[in-house]
Amino acid sequence: MSQTHTQHTPAVPDNPAAGPLAGKRVAHQPNWSVRGHLCSAGCRALEGYRALEDATLIARLQTAGAVLANPAAMAELGFGLHGDTTVQPVAQGAADLALVNDTLGEARVAAAAHGMFGFKPSYGRVSRCGMIDLVPSMACPGFIAAGPQAILDALAAVAGPDPADVAMPDDCREIPFDARPSDTDPLQNAGVIIQSLASLDGTARRAFEAALARLAAAGVAVQEIDLPDYPLFRDTHQVIAAVEASSSAGKFDGVRYGYRAPTAKHWNEMYLETRKSAFGPLLKALLFQGAYLQFDNYAAFEQAARLRRRLVDALAGHLKKVDLLVMPTRNPATDAATATTIAAIYDAFAYTLPANLAGLPALHLPGPQTTDAQDPGLQLIGRRLDDTRLLALGVRMADFEKEGR
Amino acid sequence: MAYEAVIGLEIHVQLNAATKLFCDCPNRPGDDPNRNICPVCLWLPGVAPQLSRTALEKGVLACLALNCTIQPESAFDQKVYYYPDLPKGYQLSQHHQPLARDGWVEIIDADNQLKRLRIHHIHLEEDVAKLVHETDGRTPISLVDFNRAGTPLIEIVSEPDMRSPHDAMAYVKTLRAQLRYTGCAECSLEQGTLRVDANISVRPRGSDQLNTKVEVKNMNSIRNVGDAIAYEIERQSACMEKGTPITLHTRLWDPDKRMTVPMRAKFEGPCIPDPSVARIVIDAPWLAEIKQRLPEMPAQKIARFIKDFGLTPDEAAAMTAEREWATLFEATSDHGLPPRKVANWISTRLIPVLRERRQSLQETRLSADRFAALLDLLEQGTINAQAAKEVLPQLLDSDDPPETIVARGGFAQVSAGDELEALVDRVIAQHPADVQDFRNGNPKVLGFLMGQAMKASGGKANPKRLKELLGTKLGAA
Repeated sequence: MSQTHTQHTPAVPDNPAAGPLAGKRVAHQPNWSVRGHLCSAGCRALEGYRALEDATLIARLQTAGAVLANPAAMAELGFGLHGDTTVQPVAQGAADLALVNDTLGEARVAAAAHGMFGFKPSYGRVSRCGMIDLVPSMACPGFIAAGPQAILDALAAVAGPDPADVAMPDDCREIPFDARPSDTDPLQNAGVIIQSLASLDGTARRAFEAALARLAAAGVAVQEIDLPDYPLFRDTHQVIAAVEASSSAGKFDGVRYGYRAPTAKHWNEMYLETRKSAFGPLLKALLFQGAYLQFDNYAAFEQAARLRRRLVDALAGHLKKVDLLVMPTRNPATDAATATTIAAIYDAFAYTLPANLAGLPALHLPGPQTTDAQDPGLQLIGRRLDDTRLLALGVRMADFEKEGR
Repeated sequence: MAYEAVIGLEIHVQLNAATKLFCDCPNRPGDDPNRNICPVCLWLPGVAPQLSRTALEKGVLACLALNCTIQPESAFDQKVYYYPDLPKGYQLSQHHQPLARDGWVEIIDADNQLKRLRIHHIHLEEDVAKLVHETDGRTPISLVDFNRAGTPLIEIVSEPDMRSPHDAMAYVKTLRAQLRYTGCAECSLEQGTLRVDANISVRPRGSDQLNTKVEVKNMNSIRNVGDAIAYEIERQSACMEKGTPITLHTRLWDPDKRMTVPMRAKFEGPCIPDPSVARIVIDAPWLAEIKQRLPEMPAQKIARFIKDFGLTPDEAAAMTAEREWATLFEATSDHGLPPRKVANWISTRLIPVLRERRQSLQETRLSADRFAALLDLLEQGTINAQAAKEVLPQLLDSDDPPETIVARGGFAQVSAGDELEALVDRVIAQHPADVQDFRNGNPKVLGFLMGQAMKASGGKANPKRLKELLGTKLGAA
């Protein structure tokens, strides 16, 4: 290594036991760089790779006194939830917090399946330095906990500018993160995107309406929002995700680290054989789609990028009229844990991916019947950088429901 | 049918920033293999690249030197291609939003007319790693040296305004001189710190259509740029004559065979915006500060040298070809020496010595003060031109004043009357036949006798006095 290379990892404090997260147990996926530890991101292409530095998020958690559990199993490069076990320690009470790579809505959907709270912060609110991902413009750390206050506490410890992550959006630097919710300015008006309800069956629809009633009972006025472009979210996400994945997964080639095909006549064959066996069928399908779009239909990618801007603007426009948007978290007819095709994945995350596409904060709140398989869950999507108020509403609702029971 | 060429150049220039573009590894590709590397330039999982401010400053300065408009915002894309010199599968480059647009340089074309050649844009990008192929063993292996990976480059993309090899060579020379003036790049074709790719097409003279172009690579000197383009124009014109279609592809210049040979189909990798790399936002105060650092450019200097120092256009062009020569010329002339004489000494004496030694001025000990002192000794007649020529290389290697070198080496000119007279008498006595020949009316013999006298003085005789004395003696005898 270069003699002048600077380690960006901050030192672990002298007394983490006195930190705000002292003793909190954190489950995490192996896509977070923990210095000296295996970091495969659930992908054979990274087999045996050990991180050289701590991710900023990991360092900040440890500085605040949190204790890392052994890495859980995760879907390949965090795309979907097939095979993921990160949420289980939290659901079983063995951990206080789980970190889940959130590209499509994985943290919220995993939380919904286990009756937990799941949160995706505004894109850029939490440093991505040291996170291994597949879709860099959408992936961010997701948080799962039994209650929203635990997520807010964790965010207080880890959110904010990171000198090592200079690609953080400007607004994240300009507007400092404050984890203290304002007592005087709570979220009051919610808009339900009516197009999002079309695919729910009768039972799920009634469960969702019951969740809306709880929201109203907690003092949030609910109105309907018309978003005709809503069906475009899915395809737009898929095109951009496939192209970004295809480009960024190029680095997993078996040359500098990770799995390399054992025999090859020349470098070209080594590349082909390595990549052939380094990725699973789902990821290969996604990479093929991305390669097709990059090399043979770039216009479709450009169109998707334009549509993304239109959709971001449409959501921002509605969020000027209401404080937050409301949608289901998942369609109970789907199962993210068993989704192994691109179509099944996008079915399972259809409600959560708009927040990833738009970089907005989103919170899943479990219903009173926390493990009801027919419950689509309640997903709150806030204005950009309105993370604290959104979590504060989660705290308010959790308190309200505790009192009501 | 008469054809004309349409030529555009894409030029990669390595910036001489101390570090690489996205990390603080030293920008020294020539060090021992894989010495200057870190997680960022190895592109290990999870790394966050940080743009070097120095590289950005040098890139901006280069763009300003080429009269470009700096864009308030620019951004990096992942330019996708798979090759072992780029094992992360993409190069970080600015495709959609380049650093600068709409520049130009001015050249003198083959008809001696001033011609403006436009630059479409300039973008920043990282260089790739270097492959070393070892074929000696039983199994050939390819090794990757990452020292070069991530070193900062700018790519200068011209408009297709050039029409001849002369235009292209003049464009490269002008651009190279202007970039060297900024001090932000070495720009050596031979060492690969400036690399030229030429896009060439031909069309019937008078037509304004743009025909299929062919890209030519691997030209490691300005002469090769001109020769490769000339060859390609001839080849394509012959194809047009025969009706053979010209296909879009890349060719390599073979410097030994003096011809271009097909390499591969032209490949343009897709470019995907990369949100993991910070956008570049340039505000007016910062840009104004960089503009302050832009030195006077060669064209302005030429005009000033002609006006203020009375140089001819050719002399002024010679003096401004390198910034360090121009600086030396001005500083030396400021000592009250005749500027044209200074220019002549730099062109005919100093530059050839530097070229022979493969040194830049900076790499020697010569200062303007000591160079002026040497020329002053010459002006005063303390030494003659031959002695000055011998003293000059010693000024390049030591800090001694010229007076000391002259005294130590016994270079002082012999002007004393009796000493010279004795010398002349001796030469006349030693060459009676030649003296007789002169007296019989052959004036050329005077030159021979002058040479003999000068040789006898060890090159130190004052040539003016010597000639006078010899003339007098030969006439008087």
